[in-house]
Amino acid sequence: MSMLTSSIKNLFSRPFTTRYPKVPADLPPGNRGRVLYDMSRCIFCRKCERSCPTVAIITDRDAKTQTVIRHRCIGCNTCVEVCPTETITMVQEYSRPDTAPTVNVFSLDLPRHEYRIEHLPRHDGRKKD
Amino acid sequence: MGRATTIPFGPQHAAFLEPLNVTLTLEEEKVVGAVLNQGYNHRGMEHALSLDYRKSQYISERVCGICSFHHSTAYCQGLESIYGIDVPERGRLIRTIMMECQRLTSHLLALGHIAESVGYENLFMQCFRERELVMTLVNRISGNRVHYSMNVAGGVKRDISPEGLKDIQATMSRLRPRLRELHRVFSRDRTLSKRTKGIGVLSNQAAREWGNVGPVSRASGIPRDIRQDGFAAYSMVKFSPIVREEGDCYARMMVRMDECLQSMDIIEQCLPLIKDGPVAIQMKGHPKGEAYSRVEAPRGELVYFIRANGKTALERIKLRTPALMNVASLLAMLPGCQLADVPTITVSVDPCICCTDR
Repeated sequence: MSMLTSSIKNLFSRPFTTRYPKVPADLPPGNRGRVLYDMSRCIFCRKCERSCPTVAIITDRDAKTQTVIRHRCIGCNTCVEVCPTETITMVQEYSRPDTAPTVNVFSLDLPRHEYRIEHLPRHDGRKKD
Repeated sequence: MGRATTIPFGPQHAAFLEPLNVTLTLEEEKVVGAVLNQGYNHRGMEHALSLDYRKSQYISERVCGICSFHHSTAYCQGLESIYGIDVPERGRLIRTIMMECQRLTSHLLALGHIAESVGYENLFMQCFRERELVMTLVNRISGNRVHYSMNVAGGVKRDISPEGLKDIQATMSRLRPRLRELHRVFSRDRTLSKRTKGIGVLSNQAAREWGNVGPVSRASGIPRDIRQDGFAAYSMVKFSPIVREEGDCYARMMVRMDECLQSMDIIEQCLPLIKDGPVAIQMKGHPKGEAYSRVEAPRGELVYFIRANGKTALERIKLRTPALMNVASLLAMLPGCQLADVPTITVSVDPCICCTDR
């Protein structure tokens, strides 16, 4: 019975939940969603690759690319903090769900913050040496 | 006397969020024996944590999703005591605020879960609605709802802005009347008290023998709270552990509810103490030595033992999680109860199987 007052109040108040896929999620400004590279600034120092706790970044100095393995990235902001040239930015929005492991390849020939999506073989997310 | 029947309770059960198996021996509807089977969720966390000490604070957050900040604080405190440094005051206060925010989310989850296990779906939804206020608050402060990624050895890496401090204050003032209302419902509701009072009694003596920690031990009359040791900034705030004597499901529920209100008090005490200054200290070289670090997680005393030998890989890291101690004491609570009360009793110890199995 002690819930009765709350229940009656709830009956006449608006729903607390939002219709999420139709209405965009209410993400705060500092939300750690995903990382994006501005390749024109990158000096390929490999600091982000070495500091990444989940080995989600592969730096290729010869091909001049940065590859982010999306399903490995935990959004911890470490690469953004270690980057000496502010190449990497953390954006609010999360990456979209996928049916297979994908990698985002950032390269010099693409515009700023744009990337090429490549699919990985299902068994492994790492590059062969 | 009827013939004894054995039924498995779990690993997949509506009352459990995670896999745990209790094999119950029943006579009619009465439980006469229980055997606990754990290890469905073993991930080898202790080995994973010892691979690289610089990256382990992120893995330690992932031991458990509900007390992630407590795990990383325990790990970072251990490393800091190996290096022999003191975290700046601002860093310690931020840690305290975040730990109390996480205690609020964890306790509200546990309370909602208890309400759901007795079939009180309405109250469960209310608890989770109030919990959402804290979850969105920590999302605004830390950038994520569950894994804050704020701790580093030496302090915290993400500062709280003056607007953020005002935001915390405003959220606490919004939350307080709502939690008072929840407190009124939890303490006075007849349905809840009939399903929880006198159920799953754990005596003071039994709680000591089973080594219970946290709200479960405090509900059995043991006034033990690691926060009184004054890690982080707890030495700067005033509070006393909440103790109840009954030792039943109701007492465990009410200890959690009172601790929610206490957590808000601690956060509000911390806010005016925050002064300008650094939040972290940079550390040099690899750690060498061993340390023993304790924090009061929402479920009780969380212990990290770290031994480092001057390399990037740690020689040994050992976790003792509070849920392990509390889940084991189910064997003392279950015999003698009715089968219908088993979900309520198991949920009232707040079993976190991620922590238990690691």
